[in-house]
Amino acid sequence: MGNIFIIYLGKLLVYSSRLLNLGQGSTWPGHLALNLNKNFIKDIVNQNPNLKIILIAGTNGKTTTGKLIQTILEKNGEKVFQNEAGANLTNGIASSLLLHSNILSTIHYNYAIFEVDEATLPLVLNEISPDYLILLNLFRDQLDRYGEVNMVAEKWRRSLEKLTKKTRLILNADDPQIAFLGLSQGGASIPPLRWIAKRWKDNTFFFGLDNKKLITSSSQHASDSTYCPNCSSKLHYDSIYFSHLGDWKCNNCGLKRPKLDISEYSYYPLSGIYNRYNTLAAVLLAKRLGIQQKRINSALHEFKPAFGRQEILRVKNKNIQIFLSKNPTSFNESLRTISDLKAQNLLFVLNDRIPDGTDTSWIWDVDFEDFVYQFKYIIISGDRALDLGLRLKYCGKPIIHDSQLIIQEDLKNSILFGLNKTLKSETLYILPTYSAMLEVRKILTGKKIL
Amino acid sequence: MNYKLTIGWLFPELMSTYGDRGNIICIQKRCEWRGINIEILKLDLGLKIDDLRSCDFLFMGGAQDLQQKIVSEDLRKKREILKEMIEDNVPGLYICGAYQLLGKYYKEADGTIIEGLGILDLYTENPGENSKRLIGNIVIESGIMNHELRQNTLVGFENHGGRTYLGKNIRLLGKVIKGFGNNGEDKTEGAIYKNSFGSYLHGPILPKNPHFADYLISLSLKEKYKKSVPLSPLDDSLEWAAHKAIAKRLGISI
Repeated sequence: MGNIFIIYLGKLLVYSSRLLNLGQGSTWPGHLALNLNKNFIKDIVNQNPNLKIILIAGTNGKTTTGKLIQTILEKNGEKVFQNEAGANLTNGIASSLLLHSNILSTIHYNYAIFEVDEATLPLVLNEISPDYLILLNLFRDQLDRYGEVNMVAEKWRRSLEKLTKKTRLILNADDPQIAFLGLSQGGASIPPLRWIAKRWKDNTFFFGLDNKKLITSSSQHASDSTYCPNCSSKLHYDSIYFSHLGDWKCNNCGLKRPKLDISEYSYYPLSGIYNRYNTLAAVLLAKRLGIQQKRINSALHEFKPAFGRQEILRVKNKNIQIFLSKNPTSFNESLRTISDLKAQNLLFVLNDRIPDGTDTSWIWDVDFEDFVYQFKYIIISGDRALDLGLRLKYCGKPIIHDSQLIIQEDLKNSILFGLNKTLKSETLYILPTYSAMLEVRKILTGKKIL
Repeated sequence: MNYKLTIGWLFPELMSTYGDRGNIICIQKRCEWRGINIEILKLDLGLKIDDLRSCDFLFMGGAQDLQQKIVSEDLRKKREILKEMIEDNVPGLYICGAYQLLGKYYKEADGTIIEGLGILDLYTENPGENSKRLIGNIVIESGIMNHELRQNTLVGFENHGGRTYLGKNIRLLGKVIKGFGNNGEDKTEGAIYKNSFGSYLHGPILPKNPHFADYLISLSLKEKYKKSVPLSPLDDSLEWAAHKAIAKRLGISI
C-alpha cells in the first residue's frame, strides 16, 4: 500500500480524533501505518536523507535529555520534532514521522529526536541508522517486562554491531555496561584494551562525572553492574556517584572507564546528579554539532522541564513539584534530590499497571531508611499504597502509628490532604510511578476536581 | 533471657535483583521489635566457612543469569558445608534463583545443562526461548501452616522462566490457588526439606506473610535454643491488609 494513502488516512484520523477529543494520536496512527506497511519507518526516513536523526535510549533520563537537546537545537534556529514522551515504541516513532511529514512523505524539519524504550532499541536500529545514538544508563526496571539488565545490554550490543559508520555514539562512561558497548565495538572483544578499532574511536564520545564533591558516601543497594562486563570480576570503583555509576576499573582484565570527552558544565537547569548526566549528554551532542557555547547556555537557562520531571505546578496558592520515580535508582535519586531541597511534605504514589511494571517488589530495593525521618509528613497513595506503607513501616522506628505517615488509597483525597498539610511557604513533593504521574497531572491540571 | 539470632545473607550483592532483601529487613525488624538480638552476616564471594557455620538462619534471593553463574561456581566449593547445615535442620529460605540452585540441575533455554548443588530433590528446566515466563501475582495454600499458624495462605509475585519439578524426597511448600507455581502444570509451589524452604514468591515473600516470617523466626530459635520460645504478638494489621488486598485482586476472599 502506498505511503501517500497511509499518511493521508493517518492524518485524517488524527484530525478527527482531536476534533472529537478522543486523543492526540501519539501511538495508534503509527500502529496503523506499520500494519499497512511494515517498512513505513524505513521508507519515510529514506525519503528524507537530509533529516538528521538522534536516538536516545536508557532506563532513566530519556525524556529530559530529549527535551534538553530539542531546546538547544531550537535555540540554534533548527526545526526539530520529537516523539511524544512515553510513546517510545516503534508505533510512537512511526506516529511521530507520520504527523510531521506532508502527504508526499516529505519532512520539513532538520532534526528528529526519538526517545526509544530499552526493549525497542534493537527493533528501531533495524529500521534506522541514526546520526547520533545516545545511551544514558541501564538500571533494573520493570523486570516483568524488560528482563534483566545483562540481557538488555547483550541485545543492545548485538544490534550496535550492525550500525554503519555514519552513526556516532554518545555514551555514559560511568555506566560500565554502556561504556563497554563503545569499547567493545569494531569486532574484537578480546584481548582487552585493544578494543577500540580506529573506525569506532573516531565516532564514539563519552560523558561522565569527575567531581569529588558529588561522591555518594554509602553504597546503594540497587546496583546492577558492579561486575566487569568483559570478564565478570568484581569492579573496583575510585568513586561512585549513584547506583553503579562512577569511576570504575577492572583489576583482572584491565578494562576501565574510558577517557571523558565532557565531565563538567557551567550550568545545570535541573537539580539532582542524574540531571547532570542528562545535561552533559545533551551538551556533548551540541558541541559535536558545533553549536556555540552561548547558544547552549541561553537554551539551558530557558529550559522548562518535561511533564512530571521536576515539573512545578501551582495549585490552591501552593507549590507542587512532581518527581517521576519509577525504579529503585530513580526513586533513590529523587529522595536524595528533594532531601537536598529540604523537602517537608511528601506524597508517594505507587501503581502497578503495565506502564509501571506489575511487580512492586522493587520498592524494597529503595534506600528509604536514609531519608524518611527528615520529612514532616509522608502520605502514601496508589494501587499498591499498602505495600509501600509496609515498606516504610519496616524502615525501623514504628512511624506508622503517629501522624507522620498517612496511607490514603484514594489519590484525589491524598492530594487534597497533602495540600492541606503543606504551608504556603512550603512545597508538596509528589513522587509517582509512571501511570500515577499521569493520573496526578490529570487531577491537578483538570481543574474541575480540585 | 536474651535471645540472639545470626542471619546469614548469602550473596547480598549478587543474588538480590528482585527486592528480596525485604525478607532480611522483615526478619530483622520483627526480631528487633520483640527484643531479640539480631546479627546479619553478609556472605559474599569468598565467604568464610566459619561465618557460614555460625548462622542460625540462611537466606538467599534471586538474580540475573550471569550473577547466578558466578554464585554457583563459588558455592560449589562450600557445597558440603551447606548440605551439612541443611541436613542438620538449620532453617533457611531460598527464593527463585537460589531455590533452583539447590536442586539437581537447571536446563537453560538452549538446552545447556547447569549442574545444581544437588542438595534438594528437584530439578528445573527452561522449555525454550519461545515459552512464556511465568509472571504475576500468586496465592498459594500452605500445608505447614494448618497446624502451626492461623492463616494458611501465602501471597506474592512470581517471575521465572524455569519450570521446577519436585522429586519424591521433598514436600511442596503449598498448593497454587491462583498463579503458576513451580511449573504452571502440577499446582505445586515451592518446596520444603527439613527446615529449608524454597519458593518462587517475590513481593518480597515475608513482609506480606507475617505468619510465615514468624514461623521461620520460631524455627530458628527452637533449633538454636532447643526449646520453644514464644514470640510476643505484634500489630500486623497493615501486613494483613496488604496480604488480603493481593488475594482480593485475584478474586479470593480471605
